Amino acid sequence: MKILNLRYDFDWSIPFREPFAGWLITGVKLTFLIAIVTTALSLIAGTILAIMRTSRFKFLNLPARMYVETVRNIPGLFWLLFFYFVFPQMLPFGLTETLNQYTYYSVVAGILGLTIDNSAYVSDIVRTGILSVPRGHIEAAVSTGLNRFQQIRYIILPMAFRTVLPPLGTRMIHNFKNSSLCMAIAAPELTWATQQVESITFRGLEVTLLATGFYIGLSLTLAVLMIRLERWLNIDVTSITQMRT
Amino acid sequence: MEFLIEQLGNWRYYLIGAYPNGPLTGLSMNIILAVLSIVIGLFFGILFGLGRTSCRRYLRYPCGLYVDVIRSTPLLLLLFWFYFFLPVVGARIPLFWCAIISLSVYASAYQAEIVRAGILAVPFGQMEAALSTGMTRYQAVKLVILPQAFKKMLPSFVSFFNSLYKSTSIVYIVGIVDMTRTGVIISQRQPNRIYAAYICMAIGFWISCYLLSIASQMLEKKLGILDYESYKPEICRQDLVLLPIPKPIKRLLITQK
Repeated sequence: MKILNLRYDFDWSIPFREPFAGWLITGVKLTFLIAIVTTALSLIAGTILAIMRTSRFKFLNLPARMYVETVRNIPGLFWLLFFYFVFPQMLPFGLTETLNQYTYYSVVAGILGLTIDNSAYVSDIVRTGILSVPRGHIEAAVSTGLNRFQQIRYIILPMAFRTVLPPLGTRMIHNFKNSSLCMAIAAPELTWATQQVESITFRGLEVTLLATGFYIGLSLTLAVLMIRLERWLNIDVTSITQMRT
Repeated sequence: MEFLIEQLGNWRYYLIGAYPNGPLTGLSMNIILAVLSIVIGLFFGILFGLGRTSCRRYLRYPCGLYVDVIRSTPLLLLLFWFYFFLPVVGARIPLFWCAIISLSVYASAYQAEIVRAGILAVPFGQMEAALSTGMTRYQAVKLVILPQAFKKMLPSFVSFFNSLYKSTSIVYIVGIVDMTRTGVIISQRQPNRIYAAYICMAIGFWISCYLLSIASQMLEKKLGILDYESYKPEICRQDLVLLPIPKPIKRLLITQK
């Protein structure tokens, strides 16, 4: 059976042979680490930025807007390269040396760059959520005697997050896929491992196929989980309203 | 600082490289990649988008599978697939066209989703009315559904073009000399100008993307779609600041309406 004129015979022992297997496993672990840490950090940073952007104070509003406008108009890859190549140079002399000797600095730079990139998008999404909270709820919160922090913590953010859950989930999946960009600064994550195997054995298709399967499988699983979560939350909302009426 | 001014004076190199005497590189490479791939992607995107909204299962499921698979693959891996796999099949194509193909495949999947959303936003009665006037299905889609859907899709297309334009910077990894590669080459050739090169790179991307986003905002305003920047939200009147500040100082800081 020859449908495609393949000039390649697959050797499926390669991904399971040492040291390639070790690299791939480290790659998967690092991909998870980068994705989870950047997601958590950018959620926190994005929420703070969103609260700052909806504030009436110029000195909170303006820096946040400037940050978001700057970051959103520059590609994510630039921030990775910036934190890997330029940022250590900006530090005082002793720190530059220490960072250059630190083996995993590329991972740290990747996390920093991806967080910077992602937090701007997250802040935009959360901001729309905050703006969609009806004014009556905030007035009710004020009249029950909650202070500003309590209003944000107990009234505004829960409602905002519930509204923006679908775009937020899409953004997080996007962020997970973007973690493959860390390969450009030689952070030893999954894409880097596949390229390393390719450049040593010239047999990259098996590992690339595995890596693609990993990314597709995990992204689709995350997407399905997000849909489940949304449905579950919706059911929760309707049941609450039914109880009240 | 003098390095930065020197590099900013070198703007031609960042924009077009040594074009008349050498290959076209720099920011124009990004623009060419983005424009070509969005045009090719639009064609296939409409096909896949129509396929996804089709009522025939043998069309809907393959198109859905394609869109889901491409959307959940990182762009970098798509690029590597076309970069390493096409020679195996026997196609010998230049690096530039590899990048174009992978970017168009990526764009087509995302645009298929936009097209699908646009088509679903057209009321169902339109199709029924078109069919009842005696149009064939093809005519109904071409003359009634798609023109209405396009008006709804246009802002999403512009914002997707913006994001695709930024994504084109990853062709740096496979060695196409675009804006990112230009900046990195300059910073490697002259290590003392590393700040200047990176700042110039960032400024180039920033200006072009900012112009695009302004254009998209103008388009949205013209089409009458609510944009959140000009929309004065009610919550802005309620200050959400965490810092406990005494009221007289607060009055000075807050812009009164």
